[in-house]
Amino acid sequence: MRALRRFFRRLWSWAATQRDEERLRLEIEEHLALQTAENIRGGLSPAEARREAMLKFGAVEGMKEDYRQQRGLPALERPIQDTRYALRRLRMAPAFTVATVLILALGIGATTSIFTLVHAVLLKSLPVANPGELFRLGRESNCCYSGGYSFDKEFSLVSYDLYKYLRDNTKGFAELAAFQASFQTAPAMFGVRRSGSPEAAKSYGGEFVSGNYFTMFGLGAYAGRTITADDDQPGTSPVAVMSYRLWIEGYRSDPSVVGSVFSLNDKPFTVVGIAPPGFFGDSLLSSPPDFFLPLNMEPYVEVDADLYKYDTHWLDLIGRIQPGANPAEIEAQMRVELKQWLLQHWSEMSAADRARFPQQTLYLRPGGAGITSMREQYGRWLQILMTATGVVLLIVCANVANLMLIRGLERRRQTSLSLALGAPVSRILRESLIESMLLSLLGGAAGLAVAFAGTRLILRFAFISATGFAGVPISASPSMPVLLFALITSLVTGIVFGGAPAWIATRVDPIEALRGANRSTARAGSLPRKALVALQAALSLALLSAAGLLTTALQRLEHQDFGFEPDGRTVANINARLAGYRTEQLPALYRRIHDAIANVPGVSSVALCLYAPPLWGWGSGVFVDGRPAPQPGDDNSAAYDRVTAGYFEVVGTSILRGRGITDEDTAISRKVAVVNEAFARRFFGTENPIRRHFGYRPGASGELEIVGVTRDARYFTHGLDRPTGPMYFLPATQADYTRPNVGSLFLHSIVIQTKPGSLVTAAAVGQAVASVDPNLPIISMHSLREQVTNQFTQQRLIARLTSLFGILSLVLASIGIYGATANNAGRRVSEIGVRMALGAHRGDVIRLVLRGALGLIVIGLSIGLPLAFAAGRLLASQLYGMNPNNPAVTLWAVLALALPALAASLIPALRASRISPLDALRTE
Amino acid sequence: MKDKADVLQGTLALMALKTLDVLGPLHGYGIARRIEQISGDLLTVNQGTLYPVLLKLEQEGSIASGWGVSENNRKARFYRLTRSGRKQLQAETRSWEQTAAIIGRFFAVKAEHLK
Repeated sequence: MRALRRFFRRLWSWAATQRDEERLRLEIEEHLALQTAENIRGGLSPAEARREAMLKFGAVEGMKEDYRQQRGLPALERPIQDTRYALRRLRMAPAFTVATVLILALGIGATTSIFTLVHAVLLKSLPVANPGELFRLGRESNCCYSGGYSFDKEFSLVSYDLYKYLRDNTKGFAELAAFQASFQTAPAMFGVRRSGSPEAAKSYGGEFVSGNYFTMFGLGAYAGRTITADDDQPGTSPVAVMSYRLWIEGYRSDPSVVGSVFSLNDKPFTVVGIAPPGFFGDSLLSSPPDFFLPLNMEPYVEVDADLYKYDTHWLDLIGRIQPGANPAEIEAQMRVELKQWLLQHWSEMSAADRARFPQQTLYLRPGGAGITSMREQYGRWLQILMTATGVVLLIVCANVANLMLIRGLERRRQTSLSLALGAPVSRILRESLIESMLLSLLGGAAGLAVAFAGTRLILRFAFISATGFAGVPISASPSMPVLLFALITSLVTGIVFGGAPAWIATRVDPIEALRGANRSTARAGSLPRKALVALQAALSLALLSAAGLLTTALQRLEHQDFGFEPDGRTVANINARLAGYRTEQLPALYRRIHDAIANVPGVSSVALCLYAPPLWGWGSGVFVDGRPAPQPGDDNSAAYDRVTAGYFEVVGTSILRGRGITDEDTAISRKVAVVNEAFARRFFGTENPIRRHFGYRPGASGELEIVGVTRDARYFTHGLDRPTGPMYFLPATQADYTRPNVGSLFLHSIVIQTKPGSLVTAAAVGQAVASVDPNLPIISMHSLREQVTNQFTQQRLIARLTSLFGILSLVLASIGIYGATANNAGRRVSEIGVRMALGAHRGDVIRLVLRGALGLIVIGLSIGLPLAFAAGRLLASQLYGMNPNNPAVTLWAVLALALPALAASLIPALRASRISPLDALRTE
Repeated sequence: MKDKADVLQGTLALMALKTLDVLGPLHGYGIARRIEQISGDLLTVNQGTLYPVLLKLEQEGSIASGWGVSENNRKARFYRLTRSGRKQLQAETRSWEQTAAIIGRFFAVKAEHLK
């Protein structure tokens, strides 16, 4: 209690310094006056009396010091004093301060900007109420769509019927919501038009969600209301919730949007509300959905509806558990329910499904982050980048530590003087540490600006979304966790680069420095500095080699033999479904589009296809005529494409045997297919596949006759590093257009081959398509080359960023080597002078100085090479089949490091060789 | 183990409190003189050391101070004991007497008494 009161009194006195000083002075004066008077009464002369009084009082200054210690709060005052002192010292060395802060800003900025992404993609929860209570179905996010009554690993997607069964029977959930699974990281697209608006339809992402979706997330509408369970009933009037982003950007926050009617894929919907700002749906996607529609509206929009199919699994589940409920118990209960549901459908199950029934299970996992497909997709490369920036930060620390060491050496005499005058070692350590902390905090503040700019740049290049679509919902502006991260990184950096130099600085012998002469054997401090320089070189080599590997792998990807001709081709994407076309109208539409574009000047040929390379979307099983039916577990899958006549010539894929798709293949001619080499190899081995038959349904194996074999063209079926899989091509004319609204009947891409030297603009193609139907928008148009390179966006970004970090580290390491060599040469000026006076040549001097630098480089390389190989092994999975032990890349990295390092050490060596012996000796 | 200065400070503080208790409000010189008279040599050299002690006591609320006029008609700082100071003095006096008694008995014991 008393201690507390004393603390406040001291705090108060600290604030009121001046008055207390004055009081003490007056008290001492009064004391001395009284004592003097006493002494005079005792018979001393006034002068003698005063002297006696002062003697008796004792050392005034010592007492004052004691008094001050008691009065204020030295523990608080001293750091402030030290900080002020450190700031003054930094101001006096502007070049050092600016250089250090810049280097630190680069290191901390790079780390922070990557952390911003890591935080947004890997760590952050959805912006909803109490994300900790949310649990999702499935260990891994499973893309989009699955049929049948069995899964290979787990039921991570469910059908609507299964959802209702789970929802109604699992009591542990306060709410269990279902929503359409997204395709990769993009939502389903809708052609959207405001009713009464003359504009053409635009395509926006949309998602079907259960009626309790917003309730489950604990979210209200920003304006209007959210979808409710009443909206999610068959036969109710169709409603939709619009995203805040689209409302702001597309409709300038027009309040009349709420309550007005929009047509989605030509079906009217009333927008009843705007979703809250910042809510981007249940998953972090590169383009989040802009419309939320009730699940029961799915049959209303899609003719080929999935809602009522018991065995079509297309819904993700997230539920909010009851307070206090145990997720493990809920999971166990749901597993039982799954089995019960499957048993109810036993009669509809295939033999294979029944055989796999015992293994069927499901998993419940924390769902606060939503469906984390992006996490799985980007996690690995974010780890690589985080590691790379960590290495850069280490190099930055080593570099700045070196600068601090040199600074410490320069201040050696001052430090020894302070020590000699009785300054405690702790105080000198503290001063030095405070200086490093100040530098690192300044660097951190500047680094935040670097991070902001860097993150924006990365976001622009990493997540490409077409104009008008929602961008990836990651903000570049630093959030609280990011700020905290930057602060902690700065402080840790400060301790790392400031700690050792501060310690070394205190280990001077006062006598040694006071003896004078800068010439004293100052080599004592040079070992740690050499180690730091070698460390920088080693880390830099590892980074450079990693960058080299990633870049080489990317080049191999980009310059592989694609099996088609990427140059001189343009791909325009349309979606007739968005314009409300029915399937029976499609053949005529395709013909008219083909003819309209073929007449555009500069176009040499045109073909339509379901998708152009290197994209891929559809697949089926293959049943070869005259062969036994494949057993469960046999892989008989193949990808397929529907194309119009002349397609292979347009994309530049050569026909190896037989013929391609031509105008002879009409709706009434015999049904044909062209297959690729991989198909021929997989299903026919060495036999000639021409005139053989196969089908894509069991029991219809005679349906298609193979008329041609093409080269393998790179359609990235499963991954960039997988070999091309079996694939077959069907004439678009021979599709069964009487089947309503089957997705694969809608051809999405128009491939246009341009005449050499001419240019076909988007406007010209747009006009041609508009002349066919003004309501049919061109969604996007790229050259085929762009479409190919867009596949490698992620790889390119990692390769470029790693290279950038590599170059940064190289520059820092070179500066380090330059600094060490220059400093070394500077300290040996007099020695060099003596040597030259005794007849040494300039060459000898250069060799003398270079020898030290070379030693550092060689040590750096020999530590760096194992590090580089380790980095290669870590990267092995990201190199798309390239061997991580690539001698060319290693050699390149060694040269890239050694040459600038040598150049950096040559400068001080040359300078040293120009020393005139006379000047050198005079510096004594 | 307490610092030597701390021991001195502790004793000084107790003496200052007792002085103020006996003589009533007094300025720093007065306290110093009184302690000097009673304790002999302890304060003859360094009267100044009293002031940090007074400051500490004041911060703890055991004494209070205010400006007054000294016997030679000069402005002087007068200290007086507060209520909590009086309590503290009583407590410390008791504990001091106890300690002194124990130490005294301890020193009185001779080797043969323990046999």
